[in-house]
Amino acid sequence: MAAATEEPPASTGSVPRVDEAEEVHEATEGGRLERDDDDEILRFMDSLDGYLLLMDSLSSALRLGWLDLASARHSMGTSRVSSTLFDHKEQSAATKLQVVDSTDIQSSEPNPYFVLSKWHLEEKLSSNDAVSAQDTKPKLRFRGSTTAPEDGNHQSDAALAESSACVDTSSHVQRARSKALSVYGALVSPKLRTAQISFETALEVIVELANSRSNMLASFSQIKDE
Amino acid sequence: MAGRPSIPTISSALIAIIADEDTVTGFLLAGVGNVDLRKKTNYLIIDNKTTVKQIEDAFKEFTTREDIAIVLISQYVANMIRFLVDSYNRPVPAILEIPSKDHPYDPAHDSVLSRVKYLFSAESVASDRR
Repeated sequence: MAAATEEPPASTGSVPRVDEAEEVHEATEGGRLERDDDDEILRFMDSLDGYLLLMDSLSSALRLGWLDLASARHSMGTSRVSSTLFDHKEQSAATKLQVVDSTDIQSSEPNPYFVLSKWHLEEKLSSNDAVSAQDTKPKLRFRGSTTAPEDGNHQSDAALAESSACVDTSSHVQRARSKALSVYGALVSPKLRTAQISFETALEVIVELANSRSNMLASFSQIKDE
Repeated sequence: MAGRPSIPTISSALIAIIADEDTVTGFLLAGVGNVDLRKKTNYLIIDNKTTVKQIEDAFKEFTTREDIAIVLISQYVANMIRFLVDSYNRPVPAILEIPSKDHPYDPAHDSVLSRVKYLFSAESVASDRR
């Protein structure tokens, strides 16, 4: 009995070190996996929290919109703010979405990313670019033949172009907004304009909500896979 | 990752709406209204004459159209066709349940939160990992 009890310590001189190393390796591997799990769970909880906060913002924006719409109906009359006035002629939506596949999250769940494009602004900007490219060609040729202008002139030109683009964009948005309101007549209540802005804000929140939703579902599917 | 289905990039997609009159009016003011060649709209106004069948048909149509990226549906309307909304699990179009004038948003009924809420139950997580 005594020999049997003495034997094990003698024979296990080097083996425990290997075991310990394996255990340490397994522990670090396990720790890393656990950390990854924790990170993913945190990301999921963050997206869930963001989703609920955005839903709260959406409720507020919609409430404002409904209130303004009710005020407009009160001042303009029920028959003038009604769904019967909707234009059923063929028309394209002025506010659209772009959908791209976001590949940053390694997940089995597809993760679409939505981008809002308001009042045909994308098309407007691209057409502006084309026009400005045509405009700049002769000017550059003209400048090349004369003496080089000072740096200040360059900056002021750029600033002018930028400000004119801003003015152009805002006037385009104003025209598009007026066109949407024209269904209800030429002279509409200012409250209807405020309602329009509130629903535009709601749309922006909705796009953020959709992105938060897809992040949440991607994180969720990754946690489930693990 | 290899088997991950990819989402085609869509440059101009629509937002569809199934909601009460004021909500639809508001979003049309914001410029989302679309009427195609066949006079098909991307919205459905729900009033007390709208049948569940009409809502179901509109939901099925909007979720199968390739030019729609988000379907907004009032939560009280979604409750009428809950079986359809809960069984829908494609990433695009994304279904978003929104509040309406008379029915505030209730997270307990949201189909997305229903899909993920079982993570909060310790027992379900433990049974998954076993």
